[in-house]
Amino acid sequence: MPKCIIDGREAEFKAGENLVEVAKTVGVEIPVFCYHPGLSVVAQCRMCAVEVEKMGKLQTACSTPATEGMVVHTQSEKVKKNQKGVMEFLLINHPLDCPICDKAGECDLQDNSYKYGDAYMRYTEERRTYLDLDMGPVIKKNMNRCIHCTRCIRFGAEVAGVREMVAVQRGNNTEITTVDGRALETDYAGNYADICPTGSLTLKDFRFKKRAWYLKKTSTVCEGCSRGCNIELHQENNVIHRTLPRENQQINKWWICDEGRFNFRYVNASDRVSTPHALRVESDWTSAIETARTAVAGKKVALLVGTDLTQEELALVQQFGAKSFPGAMIAHFGTSGVKNSSDDADADALLKRKSKTANLHGAEKLGIPAFESLPAGVNAVVVIRGGRAVLPSLGGVTASVGIGVFAGSQAAGFEVVLPGLSFAEKEGTVVNSAGVEQKFKRAIGPVGKSKSLSEILMMWNFQGTSPHASQNQKVTAAAGGV
Amino acid sequence: MNIMHPDGGGGVATENLFAQHFKNDEARFIDYYLNKMGGYTALKKAFGMSQDDIINEMKKSNLRGRGGAGFPTGVKWGFIPKQSAKPKYLVCNADESEPGTFKDRDIMRYTPHLLIEGMVIGGFAIGAHHGYIYIRGEYTREAKLLNEAIDEAYAKGYLGKNILGTGFDFDLTVHRGAGAYICGEETALLNSLEGKRGEPRVKPPFPAQSGAFAGPTIVNNVETLAVVPFIVNRGGDWFSGLGKIERSGGTRLISVSGHVKKPGVYEINAGSMTIREIIYDLCGGVLGDKKLKAVIPGGSSAPVLTADEIDVVYDIDPLMKIGSMMGSAALMVVSEDYCVVKLLGRITKFYAHESCGQCTPCREGCKWMEDVIERIEHGHGREQDLALLLDIADNINGKTLCALGDAAAGPVMSFVKKFKSDFEAHIRGGKCPNV
Repeated sequence: MPKCIIDGREAEFKAGENLVEVAKTVGVEIPVFCYHPGLSVVAQCRMCAVEVEKMGKLQTACSTPATEGMVVHTQSEKVKKNQKGVMEFLLINHPLDCPICDKAGECDLQDNSYKYGDAYMRYTEERRTYLDLDMGPVIKKNMNRCIHCTRCIRFGAEVAGVREMVAVQRGNNTEITTVDGRALETDYAGNYADICPTGSLTLKDFRFKKRAWYLKKTSTVCEGCSRGCNIELHQENNVIHRTLPRENQQINKWWICDEGRFNFRYVNASDRVSTPHALRVESDWTSAIETARTAVAGKKVALLVGTDLTQEELALVQQFGAKSFPGAMIAHFGTSGVKNSSDDADADALLKRKSKTANLHGAEKLGIPAFESLPAGVNAVVVIRGGRAVLPSLGGVTASVGIGVFAGSQAAGFEVVLPGLSFAEKEGTVVNSAGVEQKFKRAIGPVGKSKSLSEILMMWNFQGTSPHASQNQKVTAAAGGV
Repeated sequence: MNIMHPDGGGGVATENLFAQHFKNDEARFIDYYLNKMGGYTALKKAFGMSQDDIINEMKKSNLRGRGGAGFPTGVKWGFIPKQSAKPKYLVCNADESEPGTFKDRDIMRYTPHLLIEGMVIGGFAIGAHHGYIYIRGEYTREAKLLNEAIDEAYAKGYLGKNILGTGFDFDLTVHRGAGAYICGEETALLNSLEGKRGEPRVKPPFPAQSGAFAGPTIVNNVETLAVVPFIVNRGGDWFSGLGKIERSGGTRLISVSGHVKKPGVYEINAGSMTIREIIYDLCGGVLGDKKLKAVIPGGSSAPVLTADEIDVVYDIDPLMKIGSMMGSAALMVVSEDYCVVKLLGRITKFYAHESCGQCTPCREGCKWMEDVIERIEHGHGREQDLALLLDIADNINGKTLCALGDAAAGPVMSFVKKFKSDFEAHIRGGKCPNV
């Protein structure tokens, strides 16, 4: 591989790789604003300018491919002077309202200002201001904070496939806005906030909710469709506040769709059923399970599983079915119109898949067939799901027991509801449409009195081994404390 | 010395390429061009030459680009790849937006067929079959005249399909700009030509690799292309000999404006005169016989010269040697009773207004400099403002995406350094000492 020298360190590179990326491989950080590896290179912010030996002027690292034997200095006086100059230029018209800005704490402008800027500013003229603009339900725009990096313009045109962000006016009056001031159209709008290097574009949903540095972050996988985009869930005090995309070049690059981004809302929603319900009234776990057992006792049972369950959960249901309801049908449900993996396909040109659950492909791998209709004679149905699989029509047969995550309105259809865990509260494997196995990671503890599926099924079986429910209560209480 | 007076005297020189035809309203018609100027004979000759022969003559001619950068034209043409999957283009930069420059306007008004013939030859030499003339929006009359001349050339078979039976096709389109200075920068021009926002592109790739519509493209100034027929007809060596200085061939059309008695477009042999000679011999001296205060030698972006620096030969290399530039050969003369702070303020306001806004130092810095200079001009300056101005200019100079940043920084640095006492007088006295 060809080599170049960056700050005295020998760096190998692939042909065409730019200096920002090559420098990262040897632990040298070159500050950037307009550069983003997923977007075209425009070299506009000038922050990444570095000194390249045998070249007179400073060269922008983002637009300069490394060449064999190239000698680069990123710490020279000339480079530092330029960084200070660019930081000053970017800040003279910036409102410096970090204390009330949602981006504070994770803001490129703020971070680079601390690292490369000057605490003292020489600007005494009046700051430039812009009028406000409503950009629709997802993004809040604050043009005064904008540093004109044009990442948003390029994201729209190059990634989302919509030319909706544009620059209007010229020079010092340049404004980044939407075409004719319209609302954003793309259903990937949340990414605008992610790539904005300052607080100019922020999420309305997250506005004034939490300071970024209080949030605890968990790397996990989106359950929104069979793509399995990599995400981070951010929570504080067991409440999820937002989802951010996590880079995975094989699956979602740097992006997620808005549906996936805001999917977490049901997890802490007030209408989520998080206590056991027996005969539509709140109950305790022992009585609810007893009622569930009674409801299916002596009946011909079918087990329906959501394709939003993990591989481990599905396998558990298979064991449970074989042991407790030998011969009972086990079939999966998830997205209306997408019964089998052959029905699953790309739903748009970027990330979305037709299957709106994470594990359709995993369920098939375990040999679970798609649910078509109930076999003749079935008079009791146990439905087990996560939080996303669309409940199937049972053709008039009573849904006896629902296990998993249900909203109040959904729960009303079941005689017994045993509240389970959402994707944010459990660990487990899901298989995406490309056959890649990925893990859900637990971001928060169980919401309310919800329990994991393994615990619920264990209690169901355990209570069945003793004739005296009263004795079981004590044992279960102990088990529940584990 | 080949000169032309704007007030009708006309050049009497032996080698006066353009100026003898200026002010002649017949010269723009193809009949005059064919009968009186040997029109389109160079094209016939060029078709008998190989592409390399033409480019070699261009290299021999020592023709340096007349738009401002002074890059050798033959070398530039040589950058075009022989084989290209995408169509190649020849683009004429007729944006002529550098303040003080108005020479290309006269070429388009009076000798448009020189430009057309030069472009067909250029297209043949680089293998382009489509040319564009990107003309500044304000030149409505010139755009109309060009289109009329192009129509004549099509009618006579000098443009279009199978030119002169050679099988070579070349179409020429006039594209009007919308009045942005930045669209004189060649990559911003190409963006504008393609219907995009007029913003400079990141280089590389240079236009010769990927220019208009991503095809290999040569962008040349009007004057540069209009001398091509002369070079082809009479040879590169002859053209090179017109220059009276090393590495600079031909004649130069210069635009003189400001406080001189006879402003206008003049034609001189390259490197044949000093600035003093141009002002006092050619243009009759400073208006009102006042003392000379300053000269801006190459369009408003060129670093200013004081009255003591005008014995420099007016050409690319000598001016570069003393830290200024010939640029588009627009010489602006300033007399002693004009406020240089106000002048710099006006220049800086122009660049702040014309900055495209995409790159940080130019977008933010030009306006900041404008504000500071305006403050000084109106008597609200502070002692530290001069150091501040120089530092802002330094943070822009050489650090921007295109040359506009340098164009804005150069005047600020040179004015503040060379006329420091005027700026200090404004700061301390609150008003201009000279007016």
